Amino acid sequence: MSSASVAAENTTIAVRGRDSLWSKAFYKFRHDRMGMVAFALVMAYGVMALGTVFGWWANDWSEIRGGRFDPISADFWFGSNVNGQDIFARTVFSTRTAFEVGLVVAILSTLIGAVLGAVAGYYSGSWIDELVLWLKGVLDSIPFYLFVAAVAFAMQGSAYGMHVAMVATFWTTTGRLVRGEVIKLKQFEFVEAARAIGLPELKIVFRHIIPNTFHILLVQATIVFVAAIKSEVILSFLGLGVKNGVSWGRMLAEATYEVGAGHFNNFIWASLFMFGLVMAFNMFSDALQDALDPRKV
Amino acid sequence: MEILQFALRKIIGGIPLILGVTFISFLLMVYYGPDKTYELLGKNPTAEQIESVRAELGYDQPFLQRYVTYLREIVTLDFGNSFSSGERVNSILKRTMPISLAVITPGFILGNLLGLVLALVAAYHRSGWIDKAIMGFSVVGMSISFLIVVIAFQLIFCSSYGLNWFPSRGWDVYSLSDYLRFVTVPTMATIFVALGYNTRFYRAVIVEEMGRDHVRTARAFGTPPAQLLYRSVLKNSLIPIITRIMFSIPLVVISGSLIIETYFGIPGVGKVTYDAITQGDQPILKAVVGLTAVLFVLTLLITDILYRVVDPRVSLK
Amino acid sequence: MKLFRLWLLLGLSVAICACGNGERPDTTGLKVYKVALDQSPTNLDPAQGATVYSNHLIVNAYDTLYSYKYLARPFELKPRLAESLPTVSDDGLVYTFKLKSGVRFIDDPCFADGKGREVVAQDVIYSLQRHFDPASLSQGSWVWQGRIAGLDDWQKAGSDYAQPVSGLTALDDHTLQITLVKPYPQLVHTLTMGFAGVVPREAVEKYGREFSVRPVGSGPFRVQSFDTTRAVLVRNPNYRQEPVDLAAEGYDPAIHQAYGLERIAGRSPPFVDRVEVNFIAEDTARMTSLTKGDELHAARVPSPTYDLYLSSKNPITLKPEIAAKYHMVNWTEPGFVFQTFNMDDPDFGYNDDPERNERNHALRCAIRKGFNWNERNERYYSGVGKIFPGIITPAMPEYDTELSRDSVIHDISGAKALLADAGWTPENLPELVYGIPASVLQNQYYEQFRGFMSKIGYPAEKIVVKQYATFGDISKAWKQSRLPLINKAWLLDYPDAENTLQLFYGPNRAPGSNDGNYSNPQYDAMFERAAVMQPGPERTSLYRRMNRLVINDCATITGLSRAVIIFWDKRVIAYPDRSFVGGFYFPYVDIDDT
Repeated sequence: MSSASVAAENTTIAVRGRDSLWSKAFYKFRHDRMGMVAFALVMAYGVMALGTVFGWWANDWSEIRGGRFDPISADFWFGSNVNGQDIFARTVFSTRTAFEVGLVVAILSTLIGAVLGAVAGYYSGSWIDELVLWLKGVLDSIPFYLFVAAVAFAMQGSAYGMHVAMVATFWTTTGRLVRGEVIKLKQFEFVEAARAIGLPELKIVFRHIIPNTFHILLVQATIVFVAAIKSEVILSFLGLGVKNGVSWGRMLAEATYEVGAGHFNNFIWASLFMFGLVMAFNMFSDALQDALDPRKV
Repeated sequence: MEILQFALRKIIGGIPLILGVTFISFLLMVYYGPDKTYELLGKNPTAEQIESVRAELGYDQPFLQRYVTYLREIVTLDFGNSFSSGERVNSILKRTMPISLAVITPGFILGNLLGLVLALVAAYHRSGWIDKAIMGFSVVGMSISFLIVVIAFQLIFCSSYGLNWFPSRGWDVYSLSDYLRFVTVPTMATIFVALGYNTRFYRAVIVEEMGRDHVRTARAFGTPPAQLLYRSVLKNSLIPIITRIMFSIPLVVISGSLIIETYFGIPGVGKVTYDAITQGDQPILKAVVGLTAVLFVLTLLITDILYRVVDPRVSLK
Repeated sequence: MKLFRLWLLLGLSVAICACGNGERPDTTGLKVYKVALDQSPTNLDPAQGATVYSNHLIVNAYDTLYSYKYLARPFELKPRLAESLPTVSDDGLVYTFKLKSGVRFIDDPCFADGKGREVVAQDVIYSLQRHFDPASLSQGSWVWQGRIAGLDDWQKAGSDYAQPVSGLTALDDHTLQITLVKPYPQLVHTLTMGFAGVVPREAVEKYGREFSVRPVGSGPFRVQSFDTTRAVLVRNPNYRQEPVDLAAEGYDPAIHQAYGLERIAGRSPPFVDRVEVNFIAEDTARMTSLTKGDELHAARVPSPTYDLYLSSKNPITLKPEIAAKYHMVNWTEPGFVFQTFNMDDPDFGYNDDPERNERNHALRCAIRKGFNWNERNERYYSGVGKIFPGIITPAMPEYDTELSRDSVIHDISGAKALLADAGWTPENLPELVYGIPASVLQNQYYEQFRGFMSKIGYPAEKIVVKQYATFGDISKAWKQSRLPLINKAWLLDYPDAENTLQLFYGPNRAPGSNDGNYSNPQYDAMFERAAVMQPGPERTSLYRRMNRLVINDCATITGLSRAVIIFWDKRVIAYPDRSFVGGFYFPYVDIDDT
């Protein structure tokens, strides 16, 4: 057998192993009742968010049509806020903001974490690895809220200051996990074989190694998603959240002025909806880990 | 001797890290940070006054010169005076850091301890209903925003709308009983928020340890639970636990807890730092970020030495 | 073992933390007044005392030559460090002040042998000179800029304290003479401001930049501690004996008897031994703290909560259960919130093309008609703010009750007609960038403004928000004229409408106080005439004509003066009005400890 076919064979084995990991995981996940409930809930939130994108509902979130703090009524399902805007529409529209923030931050930080982690792991011990570790060390040692605030301020009014700051801090954990996994993976035969037949190194990293860390990436992405939504609340309280729109964080920040005056609608509905999504996502993330990580306990 | 050499090596190795942190934060917070000039002007300023304030604050100097000045300030630990209050940065830190530490320490320690205890219990009863209940509660705890917890706790425990057992704000601490009165609610809030994360983390570590052969053997031989958990499990899972605790310390010490300090009116370093960001008070920012970086490097060092202490197999390389 | 050690660590850290602030001050038998401010002062240097918050502390730590009477409203001047009102030369240029003798600074290590020395005329001169020394980062020099003979030149020559200023002379230790460049009828008012606090040179030189947190003055209180959450003032035991003459302070039994103020008659202030000033920006936390009873005695009531406490809003009266617990005082602030167009912006302001200039005028007037002051008032000020036309606020003696209210009437169809007549359509309307500092409330204002504009046919997507990280950053944008609309609040420094009229005086254009770059030669000429006039009907009529010019040019959308409501505990005998120089009432506060 030529070395090329050995490599091919080995890759297939690895790929097959991957396939069985995924099909096993899928099976396991299907039978996780809590996980399925959580997943359904996340999907329901997703539909709620998509509905606003397609203009099915909640697009009147900024329209001023009611009195100051109108109580719950047929017109205002969750009451109205100080400007006479519909809290129900704002709560629902905030789901879209949450998904936007969560997805952008989760996807970008996972991508960056995967690439930098994999490269560092593959070249572990070299200067590239040192550089990535240094960058990670630097970003980890600046207090999170200070860093986010500083980035948001430096980007003066840009709508994405918050996203950039979160991506810059959240990729480091993913990067560390991927790096560890890659260091393990690169001792596997299929990598050595691929190297032996002279595949370009970057191709090995991207085509053969990173796909084998997908289970880590998926789980990490869900964790980052939740972290992003929760951070948005604190940032909005500090006046650094979403710029032109509405979010649960902004509603809660508004509520800090209102609860003392006995107006609880912003506080209650934003808290409840946010709690629902974060809880569902946490459980979904747990179920994914159970299914994907054979060592997960 | 070996330890000393090792420490020296580590400290030198930490220099690039300090340079990186200071450079990035200098760029973000100082160079691109808010412009303090316009907050220091009178109501009817002239163009000359604007120039003179800028010069007084050092904004007119070139970037590199300002950065080098900053590095010198870190080395000499002298950060000058605050742009806002005029007070020396060192005396501000000396006054506020102990307060932040006092506010945050009990919550930090109890949060970790309780997390560890719950994790041990959950892991021991793994997959039983106790485990499920504990894990369920920690997911709930993880899903509630800190802001909501703080608002709710203040209303429940500190206001006349609720139980009204504790002062709603301030920090008038002269004795242990004062301390307990002021620290209790912030501590409960901190624990509430951290407990979920801590429990899950420690449980994962412990369950992994419990799966090892020697533990299973010991368990099969009927070692009493407390002894089993303490002797066989806890001791061997100390490394990840120490890592987690150690790396939280610099952030706890320096940045304190911004939300807690703001909401409970506690004059700690977290509030001071945040005010400094929103007002562009650069001397304070430079001090806080620089000190965090230095502390991080020291923590790295101490952690490595601790590894060696708890597990002699780890070599000092 | 390990667990035991962890517990030991816990115990140890608690013990370390607990010994926090040293010895508890013994306050048994002392009278302590605990009050809240809704923001924290940045520092206590009179040269930088630009806010009502820092002035609360500055006027108590330092003496000023003049002050306002405790109870008389409208505000009336009275001598404080000065013996009497000044004598003024016939041309209105030379003011001679007599200082009280025997007034001493508090004891402080900055003085030889640590004993406070006597306050003399030279100290007043030094304190004014400091504003013209770049090193003191003064925020108050604008008050005297171009007014006092030789002072601006002294600064140009390098602010050398060894050099004399021709307009500032000490005839003897207790006689001060100020020579003006041109008449400045507001001069005595400026000497009540925190900026005019009299500081000893020894302290400035000894403490350098830290002088701003270590006040050394001759006021009724000494600042014992000061941080971002609280300041503690203690009585200055050597403060001069000056028994209160209630009638001279403006006591009116019909208003003041209910507060028990006659109790302080004939006694020498200050009456409390200690004042704890808490800085609480969070509305909820402030009211929580007040309602607990022992944490706070007095606080400003946040406007969103008015409905909880008030039984009627005009006049303001309390619900019986609240009135049983608290005293209340309310007043209309001597200031206003408004939005001003940047007249340098060719899209909204002056335009070289005369036709476009006319259309811009119509556009501004239409936006003003579209702005719904009543709704702004209802939603954000609980409907108790005072809406008024023009720029002379209701709290001013020159306020014009006859002035047409057209410019504050919300008129959608009128606005639409104006736009249509001037050829404005949703397609050709310019984009309006609405700048705000990063804050939830400001964002809500923006959403409301966008709602108002939608109703007159201004497309919502053309009202664009631009958020600035800090107040300093948005000030920068204003001072550099980068925003078409400037949303601002202005608090008056003294009870004279000149203070708001100068906001539209051409030569004050940005970076000066005329942020909107309003420029009208007719207005400027009248302003210059009025500026040197003593108060009187002639000046008032000039003021009112200027007011109408600004209204007719649609240069600004005004205005609303907010109401301030203060609650205080019934054990406290006080009248905690904090207009202008806040906190000058502290010395008169007494506690009924029976």
